[in-house]
Amino acid sequence: MAKQTPRSLSAIQQWMQAVITHPAGVSMGADSDEARRHVDVGAEHLESVIRRSKALTSAERLEVYADAYYLRLLDCLRSEFPALLYALGQEAFDEHAVGYLQAYPSQSYTLGFLGKSFPDYLRETRPADIPGGPEEPNWPEFLIDLAALERTYAEVFDGPGIETSPQLTGDDLATVMRDHLATARLEMAPCFRLVRFSFPVHEYASAVRHEESPEPPEPRETLLAVTRLHFVVRRFELTPVQFSLLTSLERESTVQEAVEEVGQSLSDEEFGQFAGSIGDWFSAWTANGFFAQVR
Amino acid sequence: MNLPRLGHPNLGLGVGLRSVHFSHILEHHPSVDWFEIISENYMDSGGRARYVLEKIAERYPIVMHGVSLSVGSTDPLNRDYLDRLKRLAGHVDAKWISDHLCWTGVAGRNSHDLLPIPLNEETLAHVCERIRIVQDILERPIVLENPSSYVTFADSTMNEWDFLAAMTDETDCGLLLDVNNVYVSSVNHDFDPNEYLDGIPFDRVVQCHLAGHTNCQTHLIDTHDNHVVHPVWELYRRAHASTGGISTLLEWDANIPEFPVVHAEVLKARRYMRDGLDEIELASEDDTPIETAPSSTTSAVPHPATFVAVDAE
Repeated sequence: MAKQTPRSLSAIQQWMQAVITHPAGVSMGADSDEARRHVDVGAEHLESVIRRSKALTSAERLEVYADAYYLRLLDCLRSEFPALLYALGQEAFDEHAVGYLQAYPSQSYTLGFLGKSFPDYLRETRPADIPGGPEEPNWPEFLIDLAALERTYAEVFDGPGIETSPQLTGDDLATVMRDHLATARLEMAPCFRLVRFSFPVHEYASAVRHEESPEPPEPRETLLAVTRLHFVVRRFELTPVQFSLLTSLERESTVQEAVEEVGQSLSDEEFGQFAGSIGDWFSAWTANGFFAQVR
Repeated sequence: MNLPRLGHPNLGLGVGLRSVHFSHILEHHPSVDWFEIISENYMDSGGRARYVLEKIAERYPIVMHGVSLSVGSTDPLNRDYLDRLKRLAGHVDAKWISDHLCWTGVAGRNSHDLLPIPLNEETLAHVCERIRIVQDILERPIVLENPSSYVTFADSTMNEWDFLAAMTDETDCGLLLDVNNVYVSSVNHDFDPNEYLDGIPFDRVVQCHLAGHTNCQTHLIDTHDNHVVHPVWELYRRAHASTGGISTLLEWDANIPEFPVVHAEVLKARRYMRDGLDEIELASEDDTPIETAPSSTTSAVPHPATFVAVDAE
């Protein structure tokens, strides 16, 4: 085939990107419609675009980039989702990850966003014919929960926090509870997240990080607060009442409004226990960096 | 007449800052001359990486080295990215900002690789125009590195060294001369690395990079996972002599050893700063490999891989 000149830089770049990111490799990539739309040469005539070297053919040289593309990004995803990797095994994990990279190729200058939509991808590609149907927690649901938890960890880990800000103290909190209950709002720490899962995925993820060999857990509604203290991501399992209270505070209710809102759904006996515990909860939450400040 | 190094100081012998060394550096304050950061790992961080960087910047000169400028791409320059880059440079008092002569993606995508461009008059004009825009936004000269590459284009009409010389001449940008990349590309593209250095305008070279690579027998891959080999040190000797002294930095990005090992590797550069070094003396103290052992690996991944793993309980 005759050399096609002049080829624009844009055409060459779109061609090369299509070739080296094709999941089936360079030859299939060069023969793909996408590549041929930009530079119509096909795998048989790669030398008209890429010169061969003394040691390697044009295809072999392009394969350095093609191999690296998936290896590099898979390595990043394996690092971000270690518990999901353990649960699936590397072969199945990589299969899902390659599909994800095709559906959601990176569009950011930072690898920090690479895994952002992986939980969404798993949700979108969840098999439809799971026994029990989508209403019943099952293996895909566990994997989606695990991915969502690990993505939350990533965002909390590198996002804004409160380590370098003045810390809310127990005395600050005592003043609020004593004098400003009706008007005070507790601003949640920017690294604070409330998340709900169908499995205790936090226990599973921690076990993987501690190099134990956890078995997939039985389903159990799991309510978590995730935050960061001293630059380490921490997670706390919550009761439904605690989750409701924190949800209300997160919506910028005053402390009194949040307590009253939660109290309305409780029996007298439950409310008594709630009222007796609430001081300890707030103390622990303050010490664990749930709140940034009182407003 | 240009000032040497574009007027930048010779910072001495530095090390690429990597998260696995954070604790060691904060605890021991090693006597390294300066640190280079991967800009993208810090520009959006509100976590430990950013905190540690600010602590380190209080004690050491910082240079910012990016991997996503994509100055060779035909996509529009990312103004938001450049604004963030500039802000970070102000926060850490970056001595200069560097990136690569490459493109990383097109049509809105980022491959997170440093992809080569065809080298000809059209691409030279394209790159120069974008360098000028970048320099206007950053309000300082950008410093661009010669990348390792694994393909050459039928549409290229220029050598890389001629392209770099013309690029610096037309834009007044600086050069980050990676002598490992020169060597890797020379093997991959069958040219003489000394001819490459002959064509470099050394008055534009602001900084040198050193690194190890993987020997795949038919080609080399710039993996930053090993010691610097002897032929690369010899290129460094020439570069150092030709510049009259140059900020020198070692990159180690995979299979990263403990900090003292990395620091010791860059300190070997002192051996190559003295002209007329006695060969016997060199031989007696030199443990430098001639070449990395041939590898049968099919999974060598070129730099960059800049992901920072989460620290969670």
